[in-house]
Amino acid sequence: MTTSLMINGEERSLTCDPRTPLVDVLRNELRLTGTRNVCREGYCGACSVHVDGKPMSSCLLPVGTLEGRDIVTIEGISQGDKLDVIQQAFIDLDVIQCGMCFPGMVMTLRPFLRDNPSPSRDAVKFALVGNVCRCTGYERIIDAVMSVVDATEVTE
Amino acid sequence: MADLPNRLERPLSVAAAIAALSGKTNKVVPVAGATWIMRAGSRGEKIDGTFVDLSAIPDLSDIDVAKDKVSIGAMATQDVIAKGLAGHADMAALMMATGYTANPAIRRAATIGGNICTADFAASDIVPALLALDAEVEIVSPDGTSLMSMAEFLSTRRSLGRAVLVTRIVIPRRLQASTHSRITLRKAGDYPVANLSAAITVAEDRTIRTAAVAVGGVEPVAKRWTGFENALIGRNLESGEFREIAGNYTDEFEGRDDTGAPGWYRVRLLPALADRAFRFLTKSTA
Amino acid sequence: MSDQSFADKAVMDFPRRDAHDKVTGRTRFTVDIGGSEVLHAALLRSDHASARIIKLDVEPARKMPGVRAIATGSDVPGRYGIGIADYTLLAKDVVRYHGEPIAAIAADTLEQARAALDAIELELEPLPASLTMADSLAENATLVHPDWQDYEVLFEGGVRGGNIAWEATVERGDTDAAFAREDVTIVEGFYEVGRQSHVPFEPRAAVASFEDGRYHIHASTQVPWTVRTVTARVLGVPESHVRVTVPTVGGGFGLKFDASIEPCAAVLARMTGRPVSIINSRREEQMTCLSRENAEIRIRSAVTSEGEIVGREATVLMDCGAYGGEQVFLTTMTTHTLGGNYKLGAVRICSRAVYTNTPPNGAFRACNGVYNTFALERHTDEIADAIGMDRMEFRRRHVLGDQDISATGQVYDGDVLAPMLERMEVLRAKSGSRKDLAGNRFYGEATTVGTWLIFVGPSAATVNLNYDGSATLVTTGVELGQGTMMQALPQIVAANLGIAPEDVIVKTADTDAAGRDLGVGGGRTTVSIGAASEAACTVVRDKLLGVASEILQTPKKDLVLARGRIEIKGRPGSGTTIQQVVAEAESRFGPISGSGSFTTPPFECMPGCTAGHFIDAIEPVFAVHNCELAIDPDTGKVDILAYRVVQDVGRALNPRAIHGQIQGGVVQGFGYALHEEITINETGAFDQTGFENYLLPLATDSIPVEFDLYEGAPAVGPFGTKGAGEIPILNVAAAIGCAVANATGKQVSSMPLTPPKIAALIDDCNPPLQHDHISPVWSENTIERK
Repeated sequence: MTTSLMINGEERSLTCDPRTPLVDVLRNELRLTGTRNVCREGYCGACSVHVDGKPMSSCLLPVGTLEGRDIVTIEGISQGDKLDVIQQAFIDLDVIQCGMCFPGMVMTLRPFLRDNPSPSRDAVKFALVGNVCRCTGYERIIDAVMSVVDATEVTE
Repeated sequence: MADLPNRLERPLSVAAAIAALSGKTNKVVPVAGATWIMRAGSRGEKIDGTFVDLSAIPDLSDIDVAKDKVSIGAMATQDVIAKGLAGHADMAALMMATGYTANPAIRRAATIGGNICTADFAASDIVPALLALDAEVEIVSPDGTSLMSMAEFLSTRRSLGRAVLVTRIVIPRRLQASTHSRITLRKAGDYPVANLSAAITVAEDRTIRTAAVAVGGVEPVAKRWTGFENALIGRNLESGEFREIAGNYTDEFEGRDDTGAPGWYRVRLLPALADRAFRFLTKSTA
Repeated sequence: MSDQSFADKAVMDFPRRDAHDKVTGRTRFTVDIGGSEVLHAALLRSDHASARIIKLDVEPARKMPGVRAIATGSDVPGRYGIGIADYTLLAKDVVRYHGEPIAAIAADTLEQARAALDAIELELEPLPASLTMADSLAENATLVHPDWQDYEVLFEGGVRGGNIAWEATVERGDTDAAFAREDVTIVEGFYEVGRQSHVPFEPRAAVASFEDGRYHIHASTQVPWTVRTVTARVLGVPESHVRVTVPTVGGGFGLKFDASIEPCAAVLARMTGRPVSIINSRREEQMTCLSRENAEIRIRSAVTSEGEIVGREATVLMDCGAYGGEQVFLTTMTTHTLGGNYKLGAVRICSRAVYTNTPPNGAFRACNGVYNTFALERHTDEIADAIGMDRMEFRRRHVLGDQDISATGQVYDGDVLAPMLERMEVLRAKSGSRKDLAGNRFYGEATTVGTWLIFVGPSAATVNLNYDGSATLVTTGVELGQGTMMQALPQIVAANLGIAPEDVIVKTADTDAAGRDLGVGGGRTTVSIGAASEAACTVVRDKLLGVASEILQTPKKDLVLARGRIEIKGRPGSGTTIQQVVAEAESRFGPISGSGSFTTPPFECMPGCTAGHFIDAIEPVFAVHNCELAIDPDTGKVDILAYRVVQDVGRALNPRAIHGQIQGGVVQGFGYALHEEITINETGAFDQTGFENYLLPLATDSIPVEFDLYEGAPAVGPFGTKGAGEIPILNVAAAIGCAVANATGKQVSSMPLTPPKIAALIDDCNPPLQHDHISPVWSENTIERK
């Protein structure tokens, strides 16, 4: 069985076991290792990708169910050296530690901020309950998100 | 690897799905949102059998909010249900159950049909909400389509056989207001240790005319809290004391011990859950 | 010693250079090493806590698709361990814990390797199992290691016997006399804590190859040299035949402070001639985590009405699981943590690592200190209550100060804790009480103190000054996420050489490239590798100034290194560039480089008072924490309202990075104190198998930690710095435990304080702690010594 889908704008045909979770296909077959394989239970968010624009945990998605869908991974987020504002804020505020959760954080936050341009600090936290970070204790991540929110408000 | 059996089928109609589920000699697994089956590994189980992916069947994920009833396709995901029911006070129990369970990514994947069909999942938020709302489950089998009450569905779901598909959930709009309270071990992001859905109709003088209360998480399967329901009839919503009344009927439950919370703790939460739910209803019906 | 004139140049919020690749997903961790040439290995693990291996036939598995090699116990015969070589890599004859590996299979794909595991014919005959320390210490208890006396001893001085893997004791002064005094109140407490799992996002992983007759292991480890030593021991080859390199590590927190699966990958690589990857699945990682150990603690104190602690005795049982591992070493720590904080008259403390048929434990951030601080601070509150003294007043009066002696009789320099307590009062006053946020819930507050040590030991560094004026720092330090390799070390080298930290290249760890190092942990990297790097810089600077002095016709003492130049003191812009001096040096004697090293400074304790200790005297590091919280009596759930930290950092080289460590460490402590629980079932396995039931703190469970960095305490580290990453977690369980006791008015004696536990506390239905296996007579808890 072949599954055809778009990954980061490219049409791909996959012939692996269609029950394989998308995260394994991305990492092992396509070598897109920025999607992190951490809990495999849908709790940590480190494997978040966009499916038709919505952030989803790729460990819970059998690849065969994704026929014709549009997948974007962390590798598809930044164009060359041009980073997303949230990626840049993470760098500028020095909030990264081991870094394994950050691609997933970016994948969750980008659509969240698109849909909620002026969230409260609490709203950001609730949006991130499916993105676990073991290193940072979260608050500096939230600081970085709020710096983007505040900056947007000023420029608007 | 040419000799491998086909490991995933994507039927395009309910009939084709029934055929796929019934016609095979090998193991078949109906797959809705996949959030349970894909976690098999972390439960120490293996994924085997052919997946019958239901996501390609048209019209199975729509939500129809009509005057007399709400009809939800079995493949509707929880985030979509929560959005679709926003603003309807009578549907608040299901809106809250689908809007706060687990975490956002799981809510975007998990479906209402998959949720209620997973008999081993004791911590469902949806099941007590549907019990309190008197929902009916539409079931399609090779013999045809039928409607079943939620309670009947829960008691028979393990024995319905594999050639049976839940296609819709139908909720009559007879009630005035509903709500869903849940207690998790952390602030958010968890399945509940215990939850409670309540739906009521209230007379002009603020007395409770009908009350349906269902409790989940406490026992292996959610159930209605009949003693408490009966005690509520005729009480004035403004008189409070829901915690105390609920406390008189907690012996209807035998809490389940599970990793994270012992049975007694789940039962201990019931009066507080009842109190939260009825304080909410007092406000939402005012 | 540091040249303090460089210190100001070293202090900055230098950003991490690995940030860009980490946020874009480009960073390649060990788990990301792959490609079609790499084989994948899976481990066959025991599903019994204690059993005899009746049959192990791997031949059927060899015939399975894709299988390339299978290793069993006889392929990895050497024993290893800390203190005692009691550890086997793959079980032979018996299994001692649920999850113990028995065989390893390498195959073309992970699925094939896992499928082949099922084809191995394994028969286990169950044996009696000791699942608790009470079981292991019972009369006629089953011995986890019946042959314990035959094991090689790797560190002399420990007392051992039966299920006691190691015992460390300190006895200073006449404790019996102190307790017999008529003017003292005797206060006694029992405490108990569970395990904590590290849950690094990158599990333990290794990719090994066999190249030119040597093993090359890429490992996700904190201790490349330990992996090298253990692999050599296990395989029976010279250590020089093993090379360990470490890519970026996705979190460690102490879990990766020991070797575990790396030698399996090595032996399979030799058998197949191919690179072999072993990555623990999340379930394996959880169920065999070398966790922070569960412990049982009894403390007894004789205190005067003024609060003077004239006598203290304590017994601490630490569960090491089926093999000794880190707990053997950590018995030492009790003396410095539980024996810390306060001035003590006579003291005797016994700390025992106890074998059980459970997964082995390991080191976890502020290992041992976290629960001993909890026990000590709860006990301290109980003492204050018993003599009717305010809890803060008691601490102000009795914390260790200048020239006070430690439990081992070491004289501490400097008043640190008392001024830190004052700083906490200031911090507390600045933000104000959050009591109003508690509403109708129970409100509690507590302030606790904690003592930890800077774990030092050997480190080596080489600095190569490059032709372009940049410098390359070569060490075996590892970047786990803590930032030391990205921030503190380049800052230290740059300040010493007068160049920009951006121009300091930091080589990733490679045991073929740098000298031996004890590893990244215990808050030692900035101190030990930092000091070795400074020593290397001193050599480089000396060579550089020698050449420059001749070029500039100026005595060395009048030259300074700044802005990439060598300038004449007081004349900015004078002199010449480092690049020109390097070029000149090359023409005279070759490229400029220098090496330096560091080891534990000669701290002194009172001779003869300790037994079985790996470290007798220390450089202490202190923390003061304050917590305000609310408890919902309906649910037993705790809501942290405020959390404040005053931390002894010596000197803060990168305050922003330290903030990150404090926030992260404190929230890990919230997890330990409130959410993270490991229970062991009747099969000897953990009930918590993954993220669904092992509850890590989430974004909604954290709050911004308020902090104040206390600088100026005596410190041996470069520019007077102390490690800042280890201790933010030190007092969290203590502060939360004491605040919960304060809020509920109940005795808080155990951790974690999950909602059901607090509900039971409120309802007075927690069963009393059973510690019958700890005698009220202190000496009965020690192995009789000659």
